[in-house]
Amino acid sequence: MCAVLGNIQRYNALLPLTNDRPLATLPVACKYRMIDFPLSSIVNANVNTVFMIFNEGETQSVFDHIGGGKEWNLDGIHNRFFIHLYQDFLKLKAQNLAYYEELIGYLEKSKSEYTVYMSSKMLCSIDLRAVMNIHQLHNNEMTVVYKKVSAENVCATDAVLSIESDGKISEVFSAKEQNNTDDLRNLCMDIYIVQTDWLISELRAGQQEGATVDLQDFLRKKIHTVKSSTYEYTGYLSNVFDINSYYRASMDMLNSKRFNSLMYSSQKIYTKLKNEVPTYYSETSEVKNSQFATGSIVEGRVENSLVSRGAHIAPNTEVLDSIIMPSAQIREGASIQYAILDKNVIVDPGVTIAGTEEKPVVVPKGAHVTNDL
Amino acid sequence: MILAGGKGTRLGKLTQKIAKPAVPFGGRYRIIDFTLSNCANSGIRNVGVITQYQPLALNNHIGNGASWGLNGINSGVTILQPYSSSEGGKWFDGTAHAIYQNIAYIDEMDPEYILVLSGDHIYKMDYEEMLEIHKKNDASLTVAVIEVPMKEASRFGIMNTDENDRIIEFQEKPENPKNNLASMGIYIFNWQQLRSVLLNSYSKDDQMLDFGKHVIPSYLDSGENVFVYRFAGYWKDVGTIDSLWEANMEFIDPSMNLDIRDKNWRVYSKNTISPPHFLTEAASVKESLIVDGCYVAGEIERSILSNDVQVKEGTTIRDSFIMPGATIGKNVTINRAIIGENAVVGDNTVIDGTEEIGVVGDSETIGVTIDED
Repeated sequence: MCAVLGNIQRYNALLPLTNDRPLATLPVACKYRMIDFPLSSIVNANVNTVFMIFNEGETQSVFDHIGGGKEWNLDGIHNRFFIHLYQDFLKLKAQNLAYYEELIGYLEKSKSEYTVYMSSKMLCSIDLRAVMNIHQLHNNEMTVVYKKVSAENVCATDAVLSIESDGKISEVFSAKEQNNTDDLRNLCMDIYIVQTDWLISELRAGQQEGATVDLQDFLRKKIHTVKSSTYEYTGYLSNVFDINSYYRASMDMLNSKRFNSLMYSSQKIYTKLKNEVPTYYSETSEVKNSQFATGSIVEGRVENSLVSRGAHIAPNTEVLDSIIMPSAQIREGASIQYAILDKNVIVDPGVTIAGTEEKPVVVPKGAHVTNDL
Repeated sequence: MILAGGKGTRLGKLTQKIAKPAVPFGGRYRIIDFTLSNCANSGIRNVGVITQYQPLALNNHIGNGASWGLNGINSGVTILQPYSSSEGGKWFDGTAHAIYQNIAYIDEMDPEYILVLSGDHIYKMDYEEMLEIHKKNDASLTVAVIEVPMKEASRFGIMNTDENDRIIEFQEKPENPKNNLASMGIYIFNWQQLRSVLLNSYSKDDQMLDFGKHVIPSYLDSGENVFVYRFAGYWKDVGTIDSLWEANMEFIDPSMNLDIRDKNWRVYSKNTISPPHFLTEAASVKESLIVDGCYVAGEIERSILSNDVQVKEGTTIRDSFIMPGATIGKNVTINRAIIGENAVVGDNTVIDGTEEIGVVGDSETIGVTIDED
């Protein structure tokens, strides 16, 4: 099996967290990035070649994170990955050239019978081998992964499926068009396993007809036109598309059951290794129900929060219900509640940052907070 | 050349299955990491690690040296194990004998100088600076020394020097030491000279087994230029249960002079993949170090929890060092102890090391355990 990892969708409701990084490299669960989850699922399924598509100008954090691919074992003799820019495909299309050729070349060279497509928006740990078994059993062109979720876990651009009792897809809706009043809906997770030969011929035909350059969109449109099977995913899922869903996903990590379901399933989650020192808790630290990565110094009160690598939380501070990304410095007497502090944020002594559960305050990367927010 | 072949019998249970340099330290390190990191930070490119007893964990830990950046085009770590030569297999009987047995490896590197280190000390030292002093003195041997309290001097090899730091006399564990300059077991030799001294001795009856007992006295007797290199930082031999425990306790304080948070002199280790650590509602952590993969529902004071340690509710751990993967049950009390790798301490167990440091061996199970899984 070979894999295509699409990372070109932009979600403005995640700003400023995605100001200068794609959703794929958004930090999550203290020491991971969103892309670690699909990438780990891919390598855990013994897929040894990955084709990744990113937007122009958004690749710095990607290269910084993935590097040579060592942590995902993508730097071996038999294991490889490729990074391509979405805009290059667009340019070819604008020049009326065959814009899918590079991808087709990759698919052909991989000599894989099957191809899996994933994106970084669905925070989950899926066993692609199990999906593959279903795909092989039904032997259809395409197998679509979905999960039954509540309304708040669906965003306007998502696809929702109507599924018959025999597992066949009867209809595909755009979430914003669907007037569903049920408690649960079948969220299309945009994880597809397809026959590679079929995909190649569809791409060839598609580029003749000016089909969409966005492969995720391309595949979605095919769900209904070919024989598709479905796979219902039952593990942990967070659909991350705005600040609230990101906040909820992070807070889920403080729930042991959800955390274990994501982190301690049969599959390991790989991330960039950092050589950090242990986290130190001083005599004045008071920590409850919180999660920490290494490299931090904790001298204040931390509750219901996630603290990433290399943070310093000074004495007499309060960090409650918040997400602290790497290298934050929270100085003496500061008080933070319902906030998301992006990387390298400094909070001056005595400053109060207060959001609400419904509307957490987001402090952008590198900000130096000198006044109350 | 790092001598990592000692049996480490004084560490008792902790070295039954692994070599002393591979014994865990400080939460996410193994003892040899400090020496290997010193090599990496000092710009040494070729490191031979001489092993003998229980080398599996050590070999696995060191691997190809990538964790220390020692896997480059012109660098490498070579693990040197005893093997049977045509003259018959022989394990080595002393530090100098270990070097003698590995002449072939050293010759292949063809160095001008050879640095001999031991793999069981906790310290940060710039060996390059020591080499500069060695060259400046035009020495044939330089011995690193540290000032120890006079009352402890009789436990060490003591160097008596003249006003230029030239060694005049060497006393191995003297009853009445003349000064307090203790050998750290770190030597720089001019390789060709040491090589011929060793070859010469092994061709005759007076075989030089040990650097301290035989080689240094012989150099002094032949009037060689032997100098000391004075080291003033933190240095700890962790060869006994007491010193291993003490060094770990000293390691907790972030203001201690080993300064592991100094980004200019990092201590590297093999990174393992574990999720962030989690402190529950019931947890209390004071003056302690915690690393990835831990789950803490108890009270931790002045202690170190290494990777993937679990501490259940109602448990109190004070002044203790818990090695990776240990599981501590409910309502346990641990005071002044070292708990071995993957040890299991059952519910309601009391380990009190007030009199003598308590030790639970690697993978040892103590107390009744209730299988919850």
